[in-house]
Amino acid sequence: MPYIPPLSFAPVVSTDVSLYRSGYPMPLNYAFIRDQLHLKTVIYVGDKDVSEEYQTFLNEQNIAYHHLHVDSCRDSDFSRHVDAVLRLVLDKRNYPILIHSNKGKHRVGVVVGIIRKLLQGWSTTGIYQEYGNFSGGSKGEVDLEFITMFETELIVKRDLIPDYVKTRKKS
Amino acid sequence: MATKRESDYDDEDDNDDNVYINEETELGHGNVLVQRAPEERIVPPLNFCPVERHLYRSGQPSPVNFAFLLDLNLKTIIWLANEEPQDTLLEFCDKHEIQLQFATINPDGGEDDNPWDGLTEHSIINALQTIVRADNYPLLVCCGMGRHRTGTVIGCLRRIMGWNLASVSEEYRRFTGSRGGRILVELLIEAFDTHLVEIESDKAPQWLLTALQ
Repeated sequence: MPYIPPLSFAPVVSTDVSLYRSGYPMPLNYAFIRDQLHLKTVIYVGDKDVSEEYQTFLNEQNIAYHHLHVDSCRDSDFSRHVDAVLRLVLDKRNYPILIHSNKGKHRVGVVVGIIRKLLQGWSTTGIYQEYGNFSGGSKGEVDLEFITMFETELIVKRDLIPDYVKTRKKS
Repeated sequence: MATKRESDYDDEDDNDDNVYINEETELGHGNVLVQRAPEERIVPPLNFCPVERHLYRSGQPSPVNFAFLLDLNLKTIIWLANEEPQDTLLEFCDKHEIQLQFATINPDGGEDDNPWDGLTEHSIINALQTIVRADNYPLLVCCGMGRHRTGTVIGCLRRIMGWNLASVSEEYRRFTGSRGGRILVELLIEAFDTHLVEIESDKAPQWLLTALQ
């Protein structure tokens, strides 16, 4: 039986910790997730209610599940949800993490773009290209503008931050 | 434009408000304020993407990407082309002691070789033989645009890992740009005999062993 990764699956960070992105995992993806990813945390950025079989799978695998109910980055409280995601990814105890939406294109694309920008310092063109590769060429001007304009104010514990996040080295 | 951020911060200690140390927890338990993007940004190479732990794929890196590459601490770069990469990349690898491996597309093609020719089985195996050894990591697989040749090698790697073909193709097409994937590349990946790659379990990366279990 071959392994079937979820739609639009890819690693986002694959260094000291593992952060993955994808579309909504289906039952045929569970074996892949269980055997290959060994997840500790799943973050769902989306509007659907969690299905019963998915909930059962997450419980069985002892995976912490965070559901952020949002439709798109046009939602007035999308920034607050992004903050919630950032808090989770800035704590290395939560890894390995999978962030998924329904198709793994737009909502995850925005979240990943913001991680690339704020935490890794990627250039805007690099972020746009990555967004485009995953959205399959569909334009997402609103999403890209949201990534570009996004700023926040989060205070997190330095010693919980994973190594890939760039912070000022100051003792 | 792209210099490493740490050095940048050292210069701007006084006026930089990105980070502060919480006065109540001076005993090394600092807090960090996450607010906005850094002034100096790093630029990923075209079509850059992580593949597995410490394994990456991309198009040909140019000098604007070098600061980005330094952050990856690369030990090996596999370059999938008959011609040499740009001199700047050769110098970069030299300076930072990165092993640059040429996996020529078609060693016998000489000057008649076309850049759009597919990889030969020999060169795919050659590249994969490097990829299945953990002591070559961190590792970047690249070609001119990071589309078809890189996609062929990564696609064959996914087959070794036991991925189903539709998922392999989905990943391949993601990086092929507006003209989409080539049927020939997908046929090559499908026909690839995964047993031709020798994997020594004591030398393979952990994620590969997990996939093979």
